[in-house]
Amino acid sequence: MAALSNKSDQEIKDLLDEYGIKHGPVVDTTRPLYEKKLKEAMAKAKVTVTKPSPDRTFYREDQEEVTYVTCQTPVRSEGPSGDGKPYMRSRPEYSERDRVDDKPYSRPEYSERNRVDDKPYSRPEYSERNRVDDKPYSRPEYSEIDRVDDKPYSRSKLEYRERDRVDDKPYSRSKPEYRERDRVDDKLYSRSRPEYSSGRQYIDEPHVYNTPSSSSSYSKPTPVMKSGGVVKKENTTSSGRLIPLWIQFLVFLIVAGFLYFIFTNMESAESSPFNKIQ
Amino acid sequence: MSSTSQKHKEFVAEPMGEKPVNALAGIGEVLGKRLEEKGFDKAYVVLGQFLVLKKDEELFRDWLKDTCGANVKQQGDCYGCLREWCDSFL
Repeated sequence: MAALSNKSDQEIKDLLDEYGIKHGPVVDTTRPLYEKKLKEAMAKAKVTVTKPSPDRTFYREDQEEVTYVTCQTPVRSEGPSGDGKPYMRSRPEYSERDRVDDKPYSRPEYSERNRVDDKPYSRPEYSERNRVDDKPYSRPEYSEIDRVDDKPYSRSKLEYRERDRVDDKPYSRSKPEYRERDRVDDKLYSRSRPEYSSGRQYIDEPHVYNTPSSSSSYSKPTPVMKSGGVVKKENTTSSGRLIPLWIQFLVFLIVAGFLYFIFTNMESAESSPFNKIQ
Repeated sequence: MSSTSQKHKEFVAEPMGEKPVNALAGIGEVLGKRLEEKGFDKAYVVLGQFLVLKKDEELFRDWLKDTCGANVKQQGDCYGCLREWCDSFL
């Protein structure tokens, strides 16, 4: 190929178009830039011609059959639902997808699909499908995937990153009637309970903690305070607090005590600040 | 809060007139000198180049790098400055 610098502007322009390089007019000041670009493009073209790269897209065809690990804990506080999923999970973005049987999924946000029994249903956003026992909870958009079928939760989460799984992470939810965290299948889902504050990592002193994840029995069934509206937090683990609860209480008491101390020690305001100094 | 520098703000606030090439954001003394040696002694000449490159970011960045050796940040600052100036005054 003739030297680029010997070509005319028009030829350079044609070459640029040929290589699909976006460009402006070829003038004195832009010419060196375009020549350089053409050189790079030519070199690259030559390289690719000589070395055809095998382009294989690998994708993981996980044909893993569903191998559910049924975690059935003998002790399970059966909630309202037989398999104990009384809470409703409202996890907007929770995508519980990869359930055990995870087919070679390539689902952007699919929720739960391959269930063991492979129900052919496809729910737009909630893929809780085949619950055997049909939990009474309503999941707005929860994509809790499939229960295998009346296993309280059997999933072999291979890539299931649902944190709280089977072994019932100490996820505390404020469910009045539901006391447990340790559900067998213990999905850690954040309930869309406004007052639920378990699993909150932040110290929220004024809020009533509904459940220190460790306490299985809820002392406050009623939503004491809607903390900031519905907090859909799905705590992955019951003990997901950054700062232990007792410390939070302690700090709260200290601050309250301090304020009280200040208050009581304040001098009473004089009725008339303008007393003449004798 | 924008992440543009003071120089940028000053440049895009008014028509560039006869401002030197140093007035461009991203172009300091060293780069300014190199540009001047290549013939780009005023900001409007660089503007001319910017326009000839059709205001394309990649082309302008490459050109700037080749001409005066600007680094990525400097390229970005200069490009942003000129683009914003054009949006306001061109």
